[in-house]
Amino acid sequence: MTRFIQTLTDQAKRLATRSPWIYRINAGSCNGCDVECATTACIPRYDVERLGCQYCGSPRHADIVLITGPLTARIKDDVLRVFAEIPEPKVTVAVGVCPISGGIFRESYAVHAPMNQFIPIDVNVPGCPPRPQAIIEGVAEAIAIWRARL
Amino acid sequence: MQPYAYPLAVLLFPGGLFALVLGLALKGVDRRLAARLQRRVGPPLAQPFFDLVKLAFKRTMVPDIASQPVFLGAPLVGAATMMLAAAMVPIAGVYTPDPALGNLLVLLYLLAIPAVVLMIAGSASGSPFGAIGFSREMALMLAYEGPLVLVVAAIAVRVGHGQGGWASFSLTEIVAYQARHGAFLFDPVMWPALLAFLAFYPANLGIIPFDIPEAETEVLEGPLLEYSGPALGLFKVMSALKSVVVLSLGIALFFPTAPSGVAGLAVQLCKLLLLMLVGVTLVRVSCGRMRIDQAFRFFLKWPLALSLASLVAVVVI
Repeated sequence: MTRFIQTLTDQAKRLATRSPWIYRINAGSCNGCDVECATTACIPRYDVERLGCQYCGSPRHADIVLITGPLTARIKDDVLRVFAEIPEPKVTVAVGVCPISGGIFRESYAVHAPMNQFIPIDVNVPGCPPRPQAIIEGVAEAIAIWRARL
Repeated sequence: MQPYAYPLAVLLFPGGLFALVLGLALKGVDRRLAARLQRRVGPPLAQPFFDLVKLAFKRTMVPDIASQPVFLGAPLVGAATMMLAAAMVPIAGVYTPDPALGNLLVLLYLLAIPAVVLMIAGSASGSPFGAIGFSREMALMLAYEGPLVLVVAAIAVRVGHGQGGWASFSLTEIVAYQARHGAFLFDPVMWPALLAFLAFYPANLGIIPFDIPEAETEVLEGPLLEYSGPALGLFKVMSALKSVVVLSLGIALFFPTAPSGVAGLAVQLCKLLLLMLVGVTLVRVSCGRMRIDQAFRFFLKWPLALSLASLVAVVVI
């Protein structure tokens, strides 16, 4: 009986990972990566809805978080607050080179890169900006990680 | 009627489980079709089922300033109401609800409850976006309830006259009347009412020209903003059930003729798909969102006038 319930739960988790909802946080990005994220979402060529993805407006509906930007000092507290609003289990994908090193802003006094001092980053998608294919690959990797966490 | 017939009708067929699976499947078809019309690949047909399973695994968060019992109780009430409502709509040749289960008037009240639940949920969440959603939902509901009541009145008077009475609000009698005299779909007197009823669909189901209360890009899904996990899943259940209730109500009111038995069920499913395509998917991919004042003015102009025209024609003729 317990084994049956175990298999049932595993099956349900397998189905659940086919519905990743994506939420974007702009942590002081120059908007380049955001445009690429929007391209991934909006144009038919890269249609992410075929993977079951949905961009959602509310952090509370999200499963996978795409964070762009170097985490500027000004926006740090707000980003941390929004990040805490996202219910577990969640996976974080850092889009662009800025969250990794600060990118072209790395020597600025106004940025707190690298971002993983404050937020646990699961997948890095480097690039300035990364191509939509790279973002989709990052999301696919995030889905694999998410399945383990469910 | 057997004592277990009510729970069976409400929980299994045609309410509850049957309506839920049907509603989610229709939603899947709708999303796929919309994607194809926009030249995308689109999600798998079972996507709404995946979404629901996923939401069951997520954590439900309650905001600090929210009133917890109301916040968590609202989606439950909404889903339960729609289960009950689904058991009240007859499927021609397949299912006839017990008269004690209620009639069209009761159904009208039940149909108003999802909107009320959304308003309560939005205001209980304590979020300003929820409050905006609340006010928009209320304005929209005031706008579309009037024409709906007039459409229902026109049909009730028509059927009542046919039986030598004044008005009949029994859905079973409405279906039986059309089985004898032909569907209202082919009755020119009823065409304005049909058009008004088609305008009621997108407003009640919260889809694009009238998805103003839950507008994602404006108020971040309004009342649903603060919901997560199973509570949000219950709202998805509510809207899936509601789409089945409203679509099959339209079929029962305007075009219920069907053979009996399994063939009747198949015919019903085809009609639901067709109505979904014409009344929901095509509308939603071909329009942009209205502002709340435009929607309000629209409903108080066209659907109201059309439904009133039908009612007057029915009374006079």
